[in-house]
Amino acid sequence: MNAFSYVTAQTAGSAVELVRERGRFLAGGMDLLGEIKDGLAEPAVLVNVKALPGTREIVVAKDKVVIGANVTLATLAEHAEAKKLLPALAQAADAVGSPQMRNVGTVGGNLAQHSRCWYYRQRDVRCVKKGGSRCFARGGENKYHSLFTKNMCLSPCVSNLAVALSALDAAVVVQRGAKTVTLAIAQLYERAWSEPKAHHSLAADELILRVEVPVAAGARSAYVRIAEKNEFDWALVSCVAAGRIEGGKLRGVRVALGSVAPIPWQVKEANAALEGREPTAENAAKAAERLLKDAEPREQIGYKIPIAQALVKRAVTALAG
Amino acid sequence: MPWPKETRWLGKETPRVDGPAKVTGRAKFTSDIVLPGVLHGAILRAKWPAAHVKSVNLEKARRAPGIKAAILVNEGEFEVRYAGQEIAALAGTSKQAVLDALALIEVSAEPAAFVVKELEAVKADAPQVFAGKANLTEGAAKETGEVAAAFAAAAAVAEATVSTPIQLHQPMEPHGHTVQIDGDELTAWSSTQGVFACRDSFAKSMNFPQSKVRVTCEHMGGGFGSKFNPGVEGLLCAKLAQAAGAPVKLMLTRAEEGLAVGNRPSSFQKLKLAADAEGKLTAFEIYSVGTPGFAAGANQGGGSGGASFPAPYIYKPAATRVKQGSVAVNAGQSCAFRAPGHPVASVGMEAVLDELAVKLGVDPVEIRIKNDPHEIRRKEYALGAEKFGWKEKYRKPGASPGPVKTGVGVAGAAWMSGGRGTQAEIQVNADGTVEVRVGTQDLGTGSRTVVQVVAAEMLGLDRDRITVRIGDSRFPPSGSSGGSQTTAAVSPAIFDACENVLAELKKVSGLDDPRGANWKAACAKLGSAPLQVRGKWREGLSTGGAGGVQFAEVGVDTDMGAVKVKKVLVVQDCGLVVNKLTCESQINGGVIMGLGYALYEQRVMDARTGFVLNPTLENYKLPGAADLPEIQIMLLDMPERGVIGVGEPCTVPTASAIANAVANALGVRVPDLPLTPDRVLAALGKVPKGATGTAARPDATAGAFAAVAAAPEAEWVESNGGCHSYT
Repeated sequence: MNAFSYVTAQTAGSAVELVRERGRFLAGGMDLLGEIKDGLAEPAVLVNVKALPGTREIVVAKDKVVIGANVTLATLAEHAEAKKLLPALAQAADAVGSPQMRNVGTVGGNLAQHSRCWYYRQRDVRCVKKGGSRCFARGGENKYHSLFTKNMCLSPCVSNLAVALSALDAAVVVQRGAKTVTLAIAQLYERAWSEPKAHHSLAADELILRVEVPVAAGARSAYVRIAEKNEFDWALVSCVAAGRIEGGKLRGVRVALGSVAPIPWQVKEANAALEGREPTAENAAKAAERLLKDAEPREQIGYKIPIAQALVKRAVTALAG
Repeated sequence: MPWPKETRWLGKETPRVDGPAKVTGRAKFTSDIVLPGVLHGAILRAKWPAAHVKSVNLEKARRAPGIKAAILVNEGEFEVRYAGQEIAALAGTSKQAVLDALALIEVSAEPAAFVVKELEAVKADAPQVFAGKANLTEGAAKETGEVAAAFAAAAAVAEATVSTPIQLHQPMEPHGHTVQIDGDELTAWSSTQGVFACRDSFAKSMNFPQSKVRVTCEHMGGGFGSKFNPGVEGLLCAKLAQAAGAPVKLMLTRAEEGLAVGNRPSSFQKLKLAADAEGKLTAFEIYSVGTPGFAAGANQGGGSGGASFPAPYIYKPAATRVKQGSVAVNAGQSCAFRAPGHPVASVGMEAVLDELAVKLGVDPVEIRIKNDPHEIRRKEYALGAEKFGWKEKYRKPGASPGPVKTGVGVAGAAWMSGGRGTQAEIQVNADGTVEVRVGTQDLGTGSRTVVQVVAAEMLGLDRDRITVRIGDSRFPPSGSSGGSQTTAAVSPAIFDACENVLAELKKVSGLDDPRGANWKAACAKLGSAPLQVRGKWREGLSTGGAGGVQFAEVGVDTDMGAVKVKKVLVVQDCGLVVNKLTCESQINGGVIMGLGYALYEQRVMDARTGFVLNPTLENYKLPGAADLPEIQIMLLDMPERGVIGVGEPCTVPTASAIANAVANALGVRVPDLPLTPDRVLAALGKVPKGATGTAARPDATAGAFAAVAAAPEAEWVESNGGCHSYT
């Protein structure tokens, strides 16, 4: 481990200033400390962002819920109003890791976490995500990898919150230099779609401050997943469906899949196929077909397709309540 | 059996004596030992699966801040045969200083071609793990009876091809030691299953007289067969302590646990089984190959981690042909692992037996009762079937309505158990308190409590009068905790010592029966010299040969391939129950380990880098609380047989019963363990074309079986090296 300095930032502006010289933001540290110990990250400075004002609250407004980046996953999972207004998000938070991890891990950290690919995490493997020339998962042991990607790296986005927030059409407020910018979830991850080295779209000196989730009357959502183990395991595939039910029909519906692409996977045609329809298994199957149209069932990954189909069905039918 | 018929403690439910210390954190495990001036040790491991190392330069590391000792594992040039092999070790004033300095060790190595996958390694043109020696070695085919004729005459013949994974021990407490060398005395605090074995091993390797070596292990967090000796890390720890002139603590990391401290060998099995019209087994054939790691080629009979295993396991068809191969790969070596060979053997045999039962239209329980040569197990099948509700639950394979199909399965196990050779010492003080000293260790099975229960029973005392001291090579000798032998080896020695105590106390006190109500008065006569009496294991109080059967009920989500085990019923013979709670606790643990073997656990090797991809518990998946089924235990209490250990038989049939239950639910067998969703979906034909999956492909296994069948029928050759030992 290299020697590093440690500084606590008092404002978002100073945090991004301080991190600029080979620094990393430190919130829960769940991912960062592992990367440092495994020799994957060698920051010169750790900028503690836990003291930033206003980042530890969940604020419920009339039309949205604002969740600070330093809110822990446990807090989110147990938040009474979040559970009521945004059940899929609370369920997604509750499904992360172990209770110890949820007590420490934060919303911002979960969204900005790095690849869990077992080649990327090997100290002595220099893969394309670390600037090497090849993806070892291609033609290798890739059962936990992506069905979709536009770049060489096969590692999927495994953030539970990303999938939920994608379906919930949330926005992320990010400190960029002296300003804040607001990104859609798709924008937060779009670089990872095309660039093998990217885990998300944020530059090293850009910091997630909060998440804004729109809430409409009658909104419903559901998070479903399957993992090899029942607890404390990564999802093989996860799915979130969100929308309203009006007169028995789905409105404003979005379905997102997790752990199948370097981004939360949404397909417009799939959402359109559900719009105005009943949340039935048959309609869900049609949406799943569109969601999975371009899936590449390579080597060990093909089994994720039937799982995704089943999860879409379960998530969409769960909206019927 | 001379054990008492009416008991106050024996066979009752006694909580662990050390339970409160363990749950409050007061219990001292090896990593909790902090000696003044202790240094931290760490090991540099090879990052190549195969290489020729020309030199290792420790100078820069030796000069790094805080480093007090630097040693080599091998002098001169040597070969690396797996990624993770020990190269050098350092000791320094902080863990971080040592980890940082490891990066300064210069290794000049020429990487070489390697192979880590069994089915590749068997090929004639595969890179050789040991140059000039074939990777594949096998025993001569063992044949009994007229095999071809028996198959030809059979009423039904079933075939099955299955595979079992490399399972890692992953004890919750990693391997490790603290060693202090003070003048001519060496003291080790070891996480071990054998304090005496460790003492002897330290003495031999460090060239110390056995009388000058002391090994202690007050508490330890599991070993499962991988902690019988100090291991490479223990001897490096001792050498570092010697070189530094200071005590050294060296605990392995979780990832190191996944590389270099043993495992259960893999297997690929092609089985064929025949029966006559009555359902009596008549013929059996198996071709198998598996890897015990880089050093194959040893016929270890399954006893210490070889790739061979008993076949046709517990059954006795008259005609059998058994041909087993062992293939070397560039990966860490296997070693003894809870019931070595047996779970592997059980998975194949019980699978083909169920396939045969289906062909014959015979109930799986009935075919077992008809063919099991063991009387106790036959009784257990009948008792268990009744309790489990087998007749009501069993349906024809695949007959359960979907999408979540339920199924049931059953399997049996045998274990030799036994155990002898322990000595014990009891000191009775004038105030009536008792100290029992025995040099056994508590592997987690509750040995300390067992000692207290037996002593309290025999002396007629409350348990709190009795202090039990174990885990020290200065106490009267006891063997290693392995082979499910500890309780049967220790209890008779305590019994014997107690008899001797009572005889002595009778003499000293003049009281006819110094037990119970008379105890205090009798002890008061001792005066200032406590009574010290010894005892030793003797015949007639314990025995071997444990049989057990298990029933499993599963639900399989056929949309997503997820297997959920709902219930496991264990019917276990264990002779005289010493302590019901710790006995059942061992069985719970055995079932959980078997569940992991069935559904979750597998060391994943990468063919192109040669690395273990899942050395840590992030992706090496151990079952957790949420994965556990209802575990129901029926102990066949047979006190007339004496004490019999259960630690191993209880883990043997779990995976087989689960795999059979899944096959029963689906109507198709998922051939490869662990039964993960991808493999279940593949077996159901639900995975789209183009995907190859993680299951063993028939074309690849066919090549391996052909290689085993074709290889010259040579005698077993000597092992090229042992598990995890200092060579």
